[in-house]
Amino acid sequence: MLGEKALELIKELDRSKDGQLPTFNEDSIRMVLEEMTTLFEQNQRDVNATVAGDVRFFSGVHLRHAALERNKRCLLAYLYNRLERIKAMRWEFGSILPAEIRANICEPEVQWFSRYNKNLAAYMRSLGEGTGLDLTQDTKPPKNLYVEVRCLKDYGEFEIEEGDIVVLQKNTTHYLPMSHCQHLIRQGILEHVE
Amino acid sequence: MNQHSLHYPSYFPSYFSINDILATNERVPCKFEKAAYGVGYLDPSSGSKDLEAGTKLELPCWLARALYSRRRIVSCQLPKTFKERYREILKAEASLVDLHMFSPHFYEFGQHLLPLAGPEAPILGTLLVETLRERLRSIMDTSLNSLEDEASSHTTKLDELERSLFRTGRKTFHDHRLWLSRRAHIVTTSPMVEQHNKRKFSEIS
Amino acid sequence: MSDTEEDVIEGSDDEGEAMTASEVLKKLEEAWITERMSPTLECHQSELVDCMLDQINQMTENLKRCKKHDFRLAIHKMEIDRIRYVISSYLRVRLEKIERFSHYLLEKEANMTDETMAALSPHEVAYAKDYAANLESHFQTLVLQHVPENLRTFDSAKMSIKPNLDSYIFFKVKQETPGVLIEDDTGEGRDEELDLQEGSQHLMRYKPISHLLHSGAVTLI
Repeated sequence: MLGEKALELIKELDRSKDGQLPTFNEDSIRMVLEEMTTLFEQNQRDVNATVAGDVRFFSGVHLRHAALERNKRCLLAYLYNRLERIKAMRWEFGSILPAEIRANICEPEVQWFSRYNKNLAAYMRSLGEGTGLDLTQDTKPPKNLYVEVRCLKDYGEFEIEEGDIVVLQKNTTHYLPMSHCQHLIRQGILEHVE
Repeated sequence: MNQHSLHYPSYFPSYFSINDILATNERVPCKFEKAAYGVGYLDPSSGSKDLEAGTKLELPCWLARALYSRRRIVSCQLPKTFKERYREILKAEASLVDLHMFSPHFYEFGQHLLPLAGPEAPILGTLLVETLRERLRSIMDTSLNSLEDEASSHTTKLDELERSLFRTGRKTFHDHRLWLSRRAHIVTTSPMVEQHNKRKFSEIS
Repeated sequence: MSDTEEDVIEGSDDEGEAMTASEVLKKLEEAWITERMSPTLECHQSELVDCMLDQINQMTENLKRCKKHDFRLAIHKMEIDRIRYVISSYLRVRLEKIERFSHYLLEKEANMTDETMAALSPHEVAYAKDYAANLESHFQTLVLQHVPENLRTFDSAKMSIKPNLDSYIFFKVKQETPGVLIEDDTGEGRDEELDLQEGSQHLMRYKPISHLLHSGAVTLI
């Protein structure tokens, strides 16, 4: 059936629902583009026949055109939904993606990502008439100023405020200001002890 | 972005919507009213280069709609799960039916069928609304009151739209419970990072 | 420090009257809840945001002068964290909608006649433009430039994501509003007129009451 290859791309994303990112499927995209080229060429030929007065070709032309539009929709939806997932990762991992994820994205996606980051950074800097505000912080309503945290990984020296430095070693616990350590919790370096 | 920060008020498919693309791929029984030249390969059984008028084929919904809307190149029938016999089953015991078996995108596919349904369109429209109305209470009930492992046995019988309602209900309930127990503020490792770490760990070991 | 709450600051409400910091915060909190519940992007409140950010920066400066073990310190820091959370959460929700509806919002912006109804702040306009351009150029690079020529355009009318203005929302009436017209969208002519009593709460489609939201007669809950 027409548009089958393109649908496979969509199904691929549908299968990895929980925000994971499958490897960019360049081969399938190329095959869809090839199908589109073939459909278009057949249409060019038949359109000429239709224009020459032979209306029998109209149905086929129309059918292939619908298939072309469908393929286009699937391809763009594939790209769009991948970008949505990459974007979600920006908010979870920060502006530098882990190597395993970078391995699954293609060069134009890397470029999109870096422009997205620049745009976001410029916007966040512009807030408060130029004083800036990091929107990737403060993701939960604050309850306490200080929280007890346990280190899940060796991290090394970490500056809290006014030059106070703590050494974050695996399995040590600390009492730290929430506003400073929440991103380390989000990244799985510290654990909030209840 | 942080997809959990917004409660999307309602399901509203777009050009890029994965569910909408899947729903419009469901098959519709069609008959070619006009011959279509050069696309005989759509019907492998015919072995001909062209599709003759009168050829009966099941086409994906997106194609059926495109061909129906322009000069009625094809005429369409409702798929069997939307026809009289199945409609009767839904009317009689909507809440018991395994809707996912009827169609994984029952409501959305049903809506896409409306322009093709001809005189049956009003009946189909009412059926979609009534079916959801009948089933909604029990979906809400189980989404708020069942244990994690029970929940999965409930969701298998739900179509995709119902499943998303179910998930929303569960998430809201869960958030509310955290809030009541004064635990809403606890910062946790982001689920995405956690999953990522797990995968990394399993690769090492 | 404790008197910051009463400081009268340059306000931004309709009459241009001065507001106290706590009034600004209250307005901002209302805008935050409304933004979270609304299906589309509401008018920007960047004056309120800038004003509150300025406040917490000042408070932070003042706190540096306090003695380290002053017990009031903790309370003020808590307050700063809380305000910062409200602002960030508010701006995050907005950013999420700006990204999702970027084309739609920019088109609306271009046809806008009344400045005071602007959904996007100037910085948000810049953000939306770059976001939309980035998306389109990505589509071009990987797909559109490789497809047959009659399919190469990104047709924003057909493809861009639009908000569902028929979503149902809960709202509360702040000002008595008689005779609100609720049109029957099924086209069966069952239009209704409704008197909204102050303090009452309703569940309704967004579209018929969106103008009341902008005028401040109702607020989303």
